[in-house]
Amino acid sequence: MNQGLKAKGLWGIYGFILPLFLFIFGFILFPVVGTFWTSLFRDVAFLPKRFLGLANYIRLLKDPNFWRSARFTLLFTFGSVALEVALGTIFALLLNEKLPLRGWLRAAVLIPWAIPIAISARVWELGYNYNYGLANYLFLKLGICSGPINWLGSGTGAFLSLLLADIWKTTPFVTIILLAGLQAIPEELYQQAKVDGTNFYQRFIKITLPLLRPVLLVAILFRTIDALRIFDLVYVLTHGGPGGMTTSLSLYGYKFFLSSDFGYGSAVSVACFLIAFSLSILYLRVGKFGRN
Amino acid sequence: MREERTKLLLTWLGLSFMVIFCLTPFFFMIMVSLSKDPTFLSLQKVKYLLTLRNYIHILRAGSLHFPAYLRNSLIISALVAIFATFVAGLAAYAFSRYRFPGRVLIPLGVLGISMFPQISVVGYLFKIMTGLGWINTYNALIFPYIAWALPLALWIVLSYFMQIPQELDRAALVDGASRFQTLYKIIFPLALPGLFSTALLVFIFSFNEFLFALMLTTDQAARTIPVGIALFQGLHGEIPWGHIMAASTISSIPLVLLTVGFQRYIIQDLTKGALKG
Repeated sequence: MNQGLKAKGLWGIYGFILPLFLFIFGFILFPVVGTFWTSLFRDVAFLPKRFLGLANYIRLLKDPNFWRSARFTLLFTFGSVALEVALGTIFALLLNEKLPLRGWLRAAVLIPWAIPIAISARVWELGYNYNYGLANYLFLKLGICSGPINWLGSGTGAFLSLLLADIWKTTPFVTIILLAGLQAIPEELYQQAKVDGTNFYQRFIKITLPLLRPVLLVAILFRTIDALRIFDLVYVLTHGGPGGMTTSLSLYGYKFFLSSDFGYGSAVSVACFLIAFSLSILYLRVGKFGRN
Repeated sequence: MREERTKLLLTWLGLSFMVIFCLTPFFFMIMVSLSKDPTFLSLQKVKYLLTLRNYIHILRAGSLHFPAYLRNSLIISALVAIFATFVAGLAAYAFSRYRFPGRVLIPLGVLGISMFPQISVVGYLFKIMTGLGWINTYNALIFPYIAWALPLALWIVLSYFMQIPQELDRAALVDGASRFQTLYKIIFPLALPGLFSTALLVFIFSFNEFLFALMLTTDQAARTIPVGIALFQGLHGEIPWGHIMAASTISSIPLVLLTVGFQRYIIQDLTKGALKG
């Protein structure tokens, strides 16, 4: 029986995968290689293209704005991922309770995820408005501060504003992943622990956390890789400002493409790629490790 | 008993915070979109007056191009959803049904590729699209979007195909059906709910995409909603918040309704996409 299947040949099978290959090669792998290649050239508007070797990378290492972008991107990534995982764990624990309206509550959590970042970034932009934004309105009404705050006007303020908007947008994703992990933990474990007279906190530390660990790891790595390439939110909410203090690596690279400096922009992009790539290798390693 | 009561109280407090936190920006957006004067939260007491003027304006005013952006986004996202799901379905059939070199490594490699940052291709994509003469056309976005949606689509469709017993399509093959017939007469119909929810997720992904759309389009001929709304500026320096929020609300409502309506599928797929790897 199986002989008949094989006789039709392997090539037919590769035919099914061919379209996938063409798309992935044509619009992901080939452009990645192209970016590497371009990064070795002077490729600027109005000047002849010239091979530079690694000169763009040497310029990169000496470029203080590049290092500032790298520092901002890493700080933002660690801050947002840590807070999103903490808040996502709390939300997932809440949604895992047997509650009336659970479906509706889950739907409410998904709403920030469904709205495009560029759109929600504009909503936050208005929310942080100095004169008539929601943030200043609430802070003044609740008496948290005495005068309005210029949220996007200082480096720290802009950083925190971005952080909050990002947490709002991506905590739903973390919540959903962790909720799936929680639901896989057998209820009997908790029942037994209750009989043994443990309190909620002890059960969380002794049962929930260890069993949730693989899922937590996946959520953290997914979010880290995603946060490292942040672009839309920064582009819309702060334009990388004030004074370039919130320019992410992706935005920094984009600015060179925008001014038609493709050589140096590509070098910045390659740096961005290498950071993400080393993390995805780590991810695959950890993923394999988790399965074993 | 006391512990139970405290827990219940904390749960409801936590849930209230969660719902308020998640929904406030959404309702704020809708409130501003319906306001006559978007500065109603300012310290000088401005009255909140309801109006549909903002909606009428963005749908009518030709200079804003909002209907064109919306049409571009809907067409591009729908085409990408259909094609990406189909291409993923073809590949998933091979990966789930046959033993051949690369059966395990290729899907893993594809998953790894999905972690690449978009910035690492966008500069070169601009060159490619310029060479093809595709800048500011639907093609400039559709092809890269399909490629970038494929890793997620492949993994989700693969997990649905794995659940279909192999005996079903083996029997058809033995009866003389070709592989392609087996795929579209047996596997596609059986996996239809899964294919539909994959397409839905790809649709939302494409509707959200920003960097490619920003770089590869120049005006309303192909510009999509996120870029259109991000670049929305007033003529005289004053930002037209009422119009922006009305446009944002119109664009978000379909996505929010789809998400709420199909939340069970979406949650399933998101967890599959993340945890199976």
